[in-house]
Amino acid sequence: MLTFENIGKQFPDGTVALEGVNLHVPKGQFCVVLGPSGAGKSTLLRTVNGLVEPTNGAIAVGGVPVTRKTLPAIRPRIGMIHQQFNLVLRASVGVNVLAGALPAVSNWRALLMLFPKHLREKACGLVDEVGLQAEHLHRRASDLSGGQQQRVGIARAFILDPSVVLADEPVASLDPKISRDILALLKAESRERNATVLCSLHQIDLARHFADRIVALRNGRVAFDGLPDDFDEGVASDIYGDSISGSLIKATPRQRAVA
Amino acid sequence: MLRTARSSATAGRLDPPYGTRTILVVLLAALLLWYTGQRVEIGRMLALTGDGILAAVGIKEDSQVSSGLGKVVGSLFPLQISERTEVTRIEGFDASRLPWFAHIEIAEHREQRLNPQTLSMEETIERKEYLVEPLGYLGHVAVKMFETLEIALWGTIIAVVLSIPLAYFGAKNYSPNRLTYFLSRSTVSLFRAVPELVSALFLVLAYGFGPIAGILALGIHAAGFLGKFYAEDIENADDKPQEALRAIGANKVKVIWYAVLPQVFPQYIAYTLYILDRNVRMATVVGLVGAGGIGQELKGRYDIYNYSHVGTILVVIFLTVFVLDQISARLRSRYV
Ligand SMILES: Nc1ncnc2c1ncn2[C@@H]1O[C@H](COP(=O)(O)OP(=O)(O)OP(=O)(O)O)[C@@H](O)[C@H]1O
Ligand SMILES: [Mg+2]
Repeated sequence: MLTFENIGKQFPDGTVALEGVNLHVPKGQFCVVLGPSGAGKSTLLRTVNGLVEPTNGAIAVGGVPVTRKTLPAIRPRIGMIHQQFNLVLRASVGVNVLAGALPAVSNWRALLMLFPKHLREKACGLVDEVGLQAEHLHRRASDLSGGQQQRVGIARAFILDPSVVLADEPVASLDPKISRDILALLKAESRERNATVLCSLHQIDLARHFADRIVALRNGRVAFDGLPDDFDEGVASDIYGDSISGSLIKATPRQRAVA
Repeated sequence: MLRTARSSATAGRLDPPYGTRTILVVLLAALLLWYTGQRVEIGRMLALTGDGILAAVGIKEDSQVSSGLGKVVGSLFPLQISERTEVTRIEGFDASRLPWFAHIEIAEHREQRLNPQTLSMEETIERKEYLVEPLGYLGHVAVKMFETLEIALWGTIIAVVLSIPLAYFGAKNYSPNRLTYFLSRSTVSLFRAVPELVSALFLVLAYGFGPIAGILALGIHAAGFLGKFYAEDIENADDKPQEALRAIGANKVKVIWYAVLPQVFPQYIAYTLYILDRNVRMATVVGLVGAGGIGQELKGRYDIYNYSHVGTILVVIFLTVFVLDQISARLRSRYV
């Protein structure tokens, strides 16, 4: 479903974020990307929907190469879930979920906020599916807790039944219990639609629990690619550096600062 | 020597928060102020004002300022409230159907005239009928004041409509290219640089006397203000929700509508209320150059020395601005 061929990315300031990344993610796989801060996880995810343009190599989504020309057609088929949820805080939950369907709606319908009936019904259904109540529909997104906001983010990402979902540290600012619930929800929603998921995480234990496959990056290169069971303490300390053990990585200072 | 050095190193130093350079700058600024003060006669202003205050409390006999002010106030009062019109000048006048509260006054006019036949002076009595409406002039002023409010309202509407495209093209992150950005930003600066009174002067020549010139003058100037502030709010809006919508391929218009507008909306309401408030005051001023409303009436009466009419107009303006200030303060505290 997703193919990365020799992907490299050098930012204008000279930072090399990715180098020679080759990956093939088959349809329906839940692929977790691990790696220390600055390893290039976000950059890798963002090349898929063109938020970052790679300086080297080629990416294909469902066999279609990602280029400037194909992006408008590709983007609506790729859902995205963000670390900071990226909701419109002053808008209601309902409008936030429907905003995920904007590419499928004509301009004038969008301006008049007249979403077609099947989308409105789908939004209501999704709000229920992600574990929110009907009364939340008309609440402002800013009134929800972090976990609830990410549930809205997931509903927004799935409203167009995407074939690929990118989740960039979707639980980095949530506590461990809620993190598990959110990842379980993300996995269930994607299984149901047979969607391919590329999800970056900081927590090794969560990755091993939920992933079908783990890809670990270090300094922009693939340092591990295999089954969750093969990602043991030894591999972890290779990737994260010797001083950090797997259990410490669950809560790095950066995550606490964000929470 | 060693001890002082050590104590200053360990205990730190608390020098005054300004240095020689600050003192020099302040001195230079004072010198400049003194120079410009000379040019605009600040000294004379203080002397005359002081005289006026002394005269007011009875220490001094008379002063130019207080006698001038006294003359002005004396000629404005009593206010002109009623309206008196010669009946023969009213088209289709029907004495049996007078306006409300109105009555007819008959004035006799004696005049010495030369009779061409007898070549002697004769006294002729001329009778003139006047229609007197006791609140007539006040009503007329109220209508004009309302017209001024309408000018302010429509000036604000024009400003909002003009500033929407100006803001879109003047926001760096949404303008299609550098040229549109530059054009929009320079249009906005130009609009703000031309005071309403000056553009009204020229618009009156183009559109004739009346409200159109006033509406356009207010609208253009305020569009310069709103265009700039709307655009800056768009640029400063939180990018996170915008990125979420860009990522799934929503176009610019949709991103603005769903991810920017909800963020900036309260601020936009605040700016627009401020402009409306300002336009009410400016609408009276642009009337002075013939751009409609109460200002035009004021200028007309002032030019024919009808100072008691001017007094009525000033009182009505003052009361209106006062009432609107109260209303807008209340609206602001409730919605912004
Ligand atoms: N827009 C940018 N301009 C310049 N350098 C960038 C930019 N974005 C990312 N980088 C750099 O690229 C490298 C990879 O960043 P990236 O955000 O992909 O890391 P990450 O693995 O997601 O890290 P984290 O876990 O902290 O989110 C880092 O060194 C970062 O400083
Ligand atoms: Mg990241």
